[in-house]
Amino acid sequence: MPELEHALVELGRGIELPPAPDLAAAVRRRIAEEPRRRFRLPPRRVLALAVAVLLVAVGAVLAVPPARTAILDWLGLSGVKIVRVEKLPPTPLRTDLGLGREVTLAEAKRRAPWVVVPTGKGVGAPDHVYYSTRIPRGQVALLWGSPAEVRLLMTEFNGEAFIEKLIGPDTTAESVRVNGDPGVWISGPHVFYYRDANGRMRQETDRLSQSALIWRHDYLTLRLEGDLSKHDALRLAASARR
Amino acid sequence: MVSRPLAETELVERARRGDEGAYEELVRTHQGIAFRTAYLVTGSAAEAEDAAQEGFVKAFRALGRFRPGAPFRPWLLRIVANEARNRRRSAGRRAALALRAAEEGSSGGAAPSPEGALLAGEEREQLLAAVNGLREEERLVIACRFFLELSEEETAAALGVRRGTVKSRTSRALARLRGELGEAYA
Repeated sequence: MPELEHALVELGRGIELPPAPDLAAAVRRRIAEEPRRRFRLPPRRVLALAVAVLLVAVGAVLAVPPARTAILDWLGLSGVKIVRVEKLPPTPLRTDLGLGREVTLAEAKRRAPWVVVPTGKGVGAPDHVYYSTRIPRGQVALLWGSPAEVRLLMTEFNGEAFIEKLIGPDTTAESVRVNGDPGVWISGPHVFYYRDANGRMRQETDRLSQSALIWRHDYLTLRLEGDLSKHDALRLAASARR
Repeated sequence: MVSRPLAETELVERARRGDEGAYEELVRTHQGIAFRTAYLVTGSAAEAEDAAQEGFVKAFRALGRFRPGAPFRPWLLRIVANEARNRRRSAGRRAALALRAAEEGSSGGAAPSPEGALLAGEEREQLLAAVNGLREEERLVIACRFFLELSEEETAAALGVRRGTVKSRTSRALARLRGELGEAYA
């Protein structure tokens, strides 16, 4: 090593830096507290997973056992996890829908060229369009009605965003297909989590409705909520076009 | 030393499977360099500690995306340094980190190393002043490469730049130091 570089290394060994704190205990405490990701499921959950695989394989309606907590990792729907709990956690009251910035549909398409819009009979163009970067590659929300009185809301995000649904004891989750793409129809109250652009899990209620349809198309994860029957939700979802 | 990469691969693999004890060992191994890297970026010990802690937590959550067998340290330092840069940006503070030499005799009166004898006090002061006089991006690259003794790859990860940029910045900084210090290091 030439002399200058050598001198710098030596100088560095005598540089005053604050002593490094011991982080191990704090990090361990935090990772033990935070929600586990799918790839780190502890063994006791493997059985529940195996059950879920079986159910998906036969394409059956998910007959959730009345166990205290059953974990159904929706394997056909990567990035979406359905968790049944005995009691839903309290959800913060929101004063806004938290959908991001209002934009025109044209601007949303410019920012998110992947966005799809339902074209089914009677639905018409969305009344409001929002774009948010809270989710890693952006989220677009199409809203019919008004922010104060939402009739229908469709949210779309691109890529491997990770979302989680907690469903209560009276809620059913059912495997469905939207134009052949895997999806799930949730009927009843549920709580929605998503991973934001900073990697934090955030909680959001499904403040609109008792029901939601979630499905994947190519690299998109889509969610349709509103006062809809399963039949109408599936019909609208199937009509979505770029 | 020879067995260390193997042991680390094993620890990472266990941590990936959710073994928190294995991850704790990885934290212990790398917390010193993670903290020092964050300190260089933030210029504050408190923020460096927060950034390092947050970085370790995020890295644990992101282990599913870690390529098995890849070196762990550069991957970790990228996450920690990112966290540190975000903190510095949100603090809106200009980097005012001036590096200081440790007080003479702070090593508890231990005999100077043979190398230590090569760099006399006055030269040390001059060299440090010259490093502190560099533009921030050059000072950081010198600090990463020579003070923390990070590899080019790790420096690139810590500074959030390409490896080629690390090379060119390093040689520019060294040239500037040579110019500043004159004959001594020509």
